Amino acid sequence: MAQGKRRRLVAVGVVLPLALALTGCLQDPDKGGSGGGGTAGFADNSSADGDGTVTILGAYGGDEKANFEKALTKFEDESGIDIEYTEDTDFTTTIKTRVAAGDAPDIGFFPQPGGLLELAAQGKIQPIDTFLDIGTLEQTLVPGLLESTRLTGDPTGDGAVDGAGRMYGAPMRLANKSIVWYPKQAWDAAGLKAPTTLQGLFELTDQIKGTGITPWCMAWNADQATGWVGTDWIEQFVLSMVGPDVYNQWTSHEIPFDDPQIVAAFDEFAKIAKTDGVVYGGVQTVVNTQVAESMVPAFRDPAECMLERQGSFEISFLPAKIQADLDNQVGTFPFPAVEASAEAPPILGGADLAALFNGDDEDAIKVMQFLTSDQFGAEWAQAGGWLSPHKTFDASNYPNQTTKDIAEAAANASEVVFDGSDVMPKEVGSGTFWTGMVSWIQGESSQDTASAIEASWPQ
Amino acid sequence: MTAGIDDRPDSEAPDAGDPLPPDGMAPPTPGEPGSPDTDAAVWPKVLVGLLGMALVVWGVGNLFLALAYYPEWFANSKILIGLIALVAGVGGAYALFFFLNMFVEGLPGRLSRGVMPYAFLLPGFGLITMMLLYPTVQTINYSFANRDATEYVGLENYRTVFGLSEFHEAIFNNILWLIIVPATTVFLGVIVAVLADKLSAQSEKTGKMVIFLPMAISFVGASTIWLLVYQYDPPNEDPTGLLNAVWRAFGGEPQSWLQISTGRLNSILLMVILIWLQVGFAMILLSSAIKGVPEDTIEAARIDGATEFQIFTKVVIPQIKGTIITVFITVVILVLKVFDIVYVLTDGRDKTQVIANLFFAKLFRDSQSGQASAIVVVLLVAVTPVLIYQVRHFRREELGR
Repeated sequence: MAQGKRRRLVAVGVVLPLALALTGCLQDPDKGGSGGGGTAGFADNSSADGDGTVTILGAYGGDEKANFEKALTKFEDESGIDIEYTEDTDFTTTIKTRVAAGDAPDIGFFPQPGGLLELAAQGKIQPIDTFLDIGTLEQTLVPGLLESTRLTGDPTGDGAVDGAGRMYGAPMRLANKSIVWYPKQAWDAAGLKAPTTLQGLFELTDQIKGTGITPWCMAWNADQATGWVGTDWIEQFVLSMVGPDVYNQWTSHEIPFDDPQIVAAFDEFAKIAKTDGVVYGGVQTVVNTQVAESMVPAFRDPAECMLERQGSFEISFLPAKIQADLDNQVGTFPFPAVEASAEAPPILGGADLAALFNGDDEDAIKVMQFLTSDQFGAEWAQAGGWLSPHKTFDASNYPNQTTKDIAEAAANASEVVFDGSDVMPKEVGSGTFWTGMVSWIQGESSQDTASAIEASWPQ
Repeated sequence: MTAGIDDRPDSEAPDAGDPLPPDGMAPPTPGEPGSPDTDAAVWPKVLVGLLGMALVVWGVGNLFLALAYYPEWFANSKILIGLIALVAGVGGAYALFFFLNMFVEGLPGRLSRGVMPYAFLLPGFGLITMMLLYPTVQTINYSFANRDATEYVGLENYRTVFGLSEFHEAIFNNILWLIIVPATTVFLGVIVAVLADKLSAQSEKTGKMVIFLPMAISFVGASTIWLLVYQYDPPNEDPTGLLNAVWRAFGGEPQSWLQISTGRLNSILLMVILIWLQVGFAMILLSSAIKGVPEDTIEAARIDGATEFQIFTKVVIPQIKGTIITVFITVVILVLKVFDIVYVLTDGRDKTQVIANLFFAKLFRDSQSGQASAIVVVLLVAVTPVLIYQVRHFRREELGR
């Protein structure tokens, strides 16, 4: 009896979910005809072609989204194409899920080349040589960016790579992290000069220290992400000291994380971060102050620190009254390389890379051609917070001299390399590298820190 | 019995009052078709019930899909969609139970009586299975799989996890939390409850309210508040952290409290937050237990010449022991799961790691779902005996009533 009852219970338990499963009579209308397949040789998503609508998935929202859409209005009016931009702060994961589910957008904005190349190796992304003029792009773009989207080797490790050697994305936004910021009033009063070599930077540091002011402003606290500022510093020193080639070998783990050249970069940075009286407030202040507040002491009267190395987004961190009078209050210079040379040093930064998933959609191709040209972005540049990856972009669109200087430094750079902690595997790039930097500044030796991070690199 | 029902061909499905007794059970009471007392199946009811359930599930399911896929059918109005979802959800649940009831009532009497309670418990059991049992089993399963759960790796994850110095640290810290927090919480709770009991009614109310207030704050909210309390500012700037302000008022140098791992000071400062949050809870339960102690037992002790302290330890405490254990266990489980406080204040830096935070870091920071699952399984194994004890204790308490 009891058994019979239980069996019946099981039967009901099975029938109910089955009934639920069978209810999928409605189909998601957005999916369109799946499995239709595109023209041979084209990466094709499942969305309709030539319907006048182009879908884009990217990571930024809020003001950035509004400014991006502002920059599209004119193009949309002229071409009659409707661009639907969707934001997803977890873009890197979402794009993989959507592509795997056959629900790729027409265009995706990749913040790093890694994710783009992974999908390119699966044949999901259209090579850009089929619809963009590579020659023109190479002339107008800041060097290094386009090359980062070239598929080499076999990133997925399954041995099947079609289309290796081709490039799969084009930049539509540039970031420059190799900037040194200073409070202009105090700087001018002290009669300081921007250095052109790394040695010059250390001499400048000593000079400021001699005047009784702590040279460097520094703040690392970002709650759970504490340490990322430190990783940018190390990357900057590696890039400045050994150049872009070794830098790229390091971030892609072709040389170990604790290679002697890298440990040397840690030691060089220690001359700033771990030397008494060089960093405002010392180690405790660095670790306990929010990143955005780093330059607050610089704008006190008298200034309590003079220099800060931070990305172009530092503008948004500055106190409101400084932002209102930006060009008179703030000065910048590019972070120098070991040796002064005619061309500007390579910069640490990155770009948002646009990639095409719907390779046979004329409309999507037109949008790609527009987004990756130097004609795109004037409205966004005027609104602030956006740099064009094109050397030929009309610099008069930038809202102030500070931004113009940063854009110029980037445009003249001999090469742009991607922020290493974004390129490294997640458990290192946003894990042990961050925590390692905190341990390092609290006293761990350069060699021990680098070795510990190397040991944490996934096999 | 099962066979008797299932094998009956449809053609034989009788009209109301079928004289054929299923499985040779007691003959049906004539004239009362469908009443639960009949032992004959009432096929129309069974069929209508089944059909009704299927229709409701299909209809509501499609309605919800339509809400998601075709918002334009509903004038793109979120309020309208919300209202429809509410009505369809509640109404659908009602209709489903209505037809389920009809279906079960239509079954032969004895079966009907046996199945009825289960039929109504089924949705609840179903939810528990889906939301608790399935994830638990899947987590245990994934703990033997690789980082993205695509391949089994045997005990590799457990080997890695047990080899991590961070894991040893987390275990050590969790043990420290276990030793300090529940005992302190209960101790303070008892003290406050006893002392409040001696106050006037008005002061007791106010006092209890103040101590109970933190309970109303979320863990993350409380952690943010305490983050400001422990805030560090360089010596040349004005202190914004309360603790440093007090410390400096007494002539101390500003300290970055959360980085001082000597004597696990930073961990202890984190524990303070949980204790602050939980003392109110302990106090409320213990206070009502103390008020429940019969006055005559205390009177008797007084007449026998016991001191107040003796009365408290020998008369009151034994009588509220059950509540003390309940509070203690609740806090123990809370401590084993502690996450928010550590995540917000230190994220495990400077030797403050705990198991739950390590799990979070493994899963979301390192994308190591296998190792993260293994850590959770360890946590599950650690909590299980406490849970079993709690359930047993609860049953004993219930029996004692």
